[in-house]
Amino acid sequence: MSEYVLELKGITKIFPGVKALDGVQFQLKKGEVHALMGENGAGKSTFIKVITGVHKAEEGEMYLDGSKVDFKGPRDAQAAGIAAVYQHPTSYPDLSVTENIFMGHEILKGGRIQWKDMNREANELLKRMNADFDATAEMGTLSVAQQQMVEIAKCLSTHAKIIIFDEPTASLTKSESEELYRIIDQLREEGVSIIFISHRFEDMYRLATRVTVFRDSRYIGTYDVDGITNADLIKAMVGREITDLFPKPEVEIGAPVLEVKGLSRTGFYRDISFTVHAGEILGFTGLVGAGRTEVMESICGITKPDSGSVFLEGREVHVRRPSDAMDLGIILLPEDRQKQGLIMSWGLGRNVTLPTISKYAKCGLNNEKKERELSKELLEEVDTKAVDIFQPASSLSGGNQQKVVVAKALSQEMKVVIMDEPTKGVDVGAKAEIYAIMGGLAQKGYAIILISSEMPEILGMSDRIVVMCNGRKTGELKRDEATQEGILELAMEKSTTKGEEA
Amino acid sequence: MNNKSVLKRITGSREFLLAVIVIAMFVVVSIFNPAFFSFKSVMDMMKNNAVMMVMALGMLCVMLVGGIDISITSTLALAGMAIGMLLKYGYIHNTFLVFVIAILIGLACGMVVGLVISRAGVPPIIATMGFMYIYRAMAYLISHGGEWASAAALGSFKDFATLKVLGLSPVIWIIIVCYVFFFIFMKWFRTGRKIYAVGSNPEAAEVSGINVKNIKLMVHAIMGLLAGLAGAIQVSVYASAMPDMQQGGEMDVIAACVIGGVSMSGGRGSVIGVLFGSLIMAMIPRALPLLRIDALWQNMIKGVLILIVVVVNVILQRIADRNALKKREA
Amino acid sequence: MAGKSGRTISNVPESPVKRTIMSWEGILVLVLILVNIFCACFSEFYNIGSLLNQMPIYLAEVFLMLPMAFILVLGEIDISVGSITCLCATTACLVCNTGAPFPVVILASLGVGAVCGMVNGFILTRFTELPPMIVTLATQIIYRGIAEIVLGSGGSISANNTDGFKALGKKLVIGGELNERGRLVGGIGIPYILFLVVILAVIFAIVLGKSTFGRRVYAIGTNRTCALYSGIHVQKIRFIIYTVMGLMAGLCSLFLVSSSYGANTTTGTGFEMDAIAMAVFGGISSTGGKGNLAGGIISAFVILCLRVGLGQRNVHAQVILLILGALLIAAVALPNIIGQLGRALKKK
Repeated sequence: MSEYVLELKGITKIFPGVKALDGVQFQLKKGEVHALMGENGAGKSTFIKVITGVHKAEEGEMYLDGSKVDFKGPRDAQAAGIAAVYQHPTSYPDLSVTENIFMGHEILKGGRIQWKDMNREANELLKRMNADFDATAEMGTLSVAQQQMVEIAKCLSTHAKIIIFDEPTASLTKSESEELYRIIDQLREEGVSIIFISHRFEDMYRLATRVTVFRDSRYIGTYDVDGITNADLIKAMVGREITDLFPKPEVEIGAPVLEVKGLSRTGFYRDISFTVHAGEILGFTGLVGAGRTEVMESICGITKPDSGSVFLEGREVHVRRPSDAMDLGIILLPEDRQKQGLIMSWGLGRNVTLPTISKYAKCGLNNEKKERELSKELLEEVDTKAVDIFQPASSLSGGNQQKVVVAKALSQEMKVVIMDEPTKGVDVGAKAEIYAIMGGLAQKGYAIILISSEMPEILGMSDRIVVMCNGRKTGELKRDEATQEGILELAMEKSTTKGEEA
Repeated sequence: MNNKSVLKRITGSREFLLAVIVIAMFVVVSIFNPAFFSFKSVMDMMKNNAVMMVMALGMLCVMLVGGIDISITSTLALAGMAIGMLLKYGYIHNTFLVFVIAILIGLACGMVVGLVISRAGVPPIIATMGFMYIYRAMAYLISHGGEWASAAALGSFKDFATLKVLGLSPVIWIIIVCYVFFFIFMKWFRTGRKIYAVGSNPEAAEVSGINVKNIKLMVHAIMGLLAGLAGAIQVSVYASAMPDMQQGGEMDVIAACVIGGVSMSGGRGSVIGVLFGSLIMAMIPRALPLLRIDALWQNMIKGVLILIVVVVNVILQRIADRNALKKREA
Repeated sequence: MAGKSGRTISNVPESPVKRTIMSWEGILVLVLILVNIFCACFSEFYNIGSLLNQMPIYLAEVFLMLPMAFILVLGEIDISVGSITCLCATTACLVCNTGAPFPVVILASLGVGAVCGMVNGFILTRFTELPPMIVTLATQIIYRGIAEIVLGSGGSISANNTDGFKALGKKLVIGGELNERGRLVGGIGIPYILFLVVILAVIFAIVLGKSTFGRRVYAIGTNRTCALYSGIHVQKIRFIIYTVMGLMAGLCSLFLVSSSYGANTTTGTGFEMDAIAMAVFGGISSTGGKGNLAGGIISAFVILCLRVGLGQRNVHAQVILLILGALLIAAVALPNIIGQLGRALKKK
């Protein structure tokens, strides 16, 4: 019998145009809590999906308790005792907690569902987790933390031997995270083997005994948590000294361009104030769910803030819809390039010119010739790897798609450029090119806001860094005084929301 | 779980509100029209609306998965004309057989609709719009372009609705049996719960191993079956079979469901809600004259009612979302 | 800032001629020709003259298809169109009977149509969570319901003064002349409505296919979120389109009344299906973002010729509806089924 309850060897997974996993390996001991870490796009989520049977690897083998397994779908994995708790729960919002837990394996007697028994069992599972809600509650009315508890209960009800957590504390408050730690400890004591993905070193130190690092779709190594330092881990995850990756040019910082005072939106962020200057790159960081994207979306007119004011070059502006922001020169490169940034089925040229078609139009009719010229120019400027401007955006790699988004921004008159996670899911080569573009824009005197969850990126590119946590601005650091630990501390500050919970 | 929260659950629910409205309407109408306040008149009202009440159950299933079906009255007409012609020309005499044939025809119609929607990927509104015309035309064809079966031609079947089985018309029994069956099916059987799952989150359902395509096929088959049954009921209650039967009646069924709290996006709705919704729809024609509103206004009011219900739903949801956000903030 | 690698990207488009022949529109033109051949063999009365004679009744519906194409490209639907037509026809007769001059009748009909469209648009843009299907389902009942109230227990109304309406139905006579009873003798009479249809069709086609407005409509229909993030006024565009839909229903109703000289509670029933069928059959995807009006116009004529041809052979009106219903479903189902078969074969 193998000492490992789960072992994977040589796993390679290929999607059209990109190798998500390249011969990775992994070993999970029975009853251990094993952390899986790596930068965004390193392949962690894809790997989890291979384990849970959602994806089928092109190469490689998987062994469960020493015997080879071949999952044809998620049901096989579930039957084998593997369960996952994802960041965004896939549940039935209109149905009760009990139903969500038991969907697919309800307790039946003579073909009829036994609600009393199911409710009782569900409540027992919830009690084990100190849940403060009843199993008859409607799933849609629960908070993210509560929904997560239901997901865990679901795993328990299927008697999972291996539970995988994908960024479990990302949307939780400090006390909710403590609760989760307790639950994971308890699960471990009961003999469940656990894998979890997290960006938070604190999670790792607190829970895990071993940590595996992926980088650029490859397996880098497995380390004992006791014997490793943050610096070692970062080096493993990033693979090189931070400084060479980021060609940040020296730029003279000019006058304030954008000033935000007391911006608030109930339930999303509160009392946000900051200033960006010409030629400056202002980094905006924090953990997922901190509210950074929400703040920028309000500045750009996609959502409406409840209070606060925005000043552009000294004058107050009222942005009611996205076109107002664009007219003022506040340009947003959205976080989700496939859903928000580009129309995937359209050609590159049409994507690039979409915001500005009116500018070249004659009597309301599209000036297709000018559009073709302009889009060719812009796409070449950002060095997009494409054959012609007519190929659909979906045919490009992540990095090139991001360049198209940049080209789209360049087609407009810019004063402030807000880039939300511009290198998410982008390969290293394209990343460097995007940083070069960013630096170039700063040199030209634009004010840049860079939202990023990647520490190296923030530290490498920003002149100043604003840190947000749970909708509040928790700190502002200058380039030379910022450190990974310092930022993390501010990003995970003792939660000022929800107070100290029981 | 203590009694307090049970009470809270009942009073907080939409069904409670609907029950209150039904009772209130009944009381108000009875006050103005004492003749209404009698067992017989209530039974008559239900008999006259039996078609809508029965089909509303099918529409509930269809809407629960996020779909819609506007071809139901054409299916009804097709089934009804078929049995009407069969009776008229003496091919069948047995009442039971009449029902079986109508149900089978309805089932077949529903399955075709279900296949087109689930397998050929045609959006429900377009598919059922097409079938609305196809099935209605078929009904006309069966009637040789306008012939109809009058009461006399129906033979003994025409008396079906006026029989008395244990004190109630068989039509009422059909309604009761249908509602009881669906109440049990939707609450205590896995397949019934799968319908809710598919409507609430189709992707999660797919991943859970639920065959979403088959569930969609099934709900349309159920709808067709009930429409066929309704066709037989229609012919018996109105003692005639005409190709333009219940034309436009699908709106009443949809209104009954929407009022009864069935969500257009799927996953929400209950048999009880639909029961109350169809009772409310049944009482509207009675209530309007009392408010001195001409019968001509009926349709417009029904349309406005649907609109008000869905808009209020949206507003309530927005308020609930806003409150949830406030809680996050605190 | 020139690209570092000096890489160039081509921006030379593919030849338009090649694209057209191989496309859906090309197939449709083929179908149009086939249908005409079929009808000509099918019925001895089928010729250009009889086509032009009987077209007007159906041509009015093409007015509905033009804005419906926009709505379908948005990925939405409007099934209240037939009821708006009914209400406008009723209005037209009513206003006509008050003795008002004909231009006022026209304005009234168009006005009522526009108002109905604006109501649809208002509800949909204010409550964006509501699916267009349910809103227009409800307004369908409401508008026809209003017509029912206005028409009263009689359920119908006739236009007293038919001069204005007759003018709408006039024909341009080429070769041949009108005899003393106003009947055409020799030559052909092209109904003026055909010119209006062609002009409007061209305008709508240009707006959808070549204008900035049209480009934005396609954007909204393909990816509404991206359209929003790209600065497109999504709600404003939707509102305009639904209002224009109502306006065109008003226009359609005028020509309807010009051939029937009256209106009743069943006027316009089924028009939404016809409009959607013409558009969908013409290659406009019901899920949004794809297709163009050229296809819609060709398929409108296909259906028109089919109707006239079948009607001449006394095929029952219901059967014609059956065929149209089947065509509507087939137009959406076939591409999907063929796609599935293609994928299944590829796997093997």
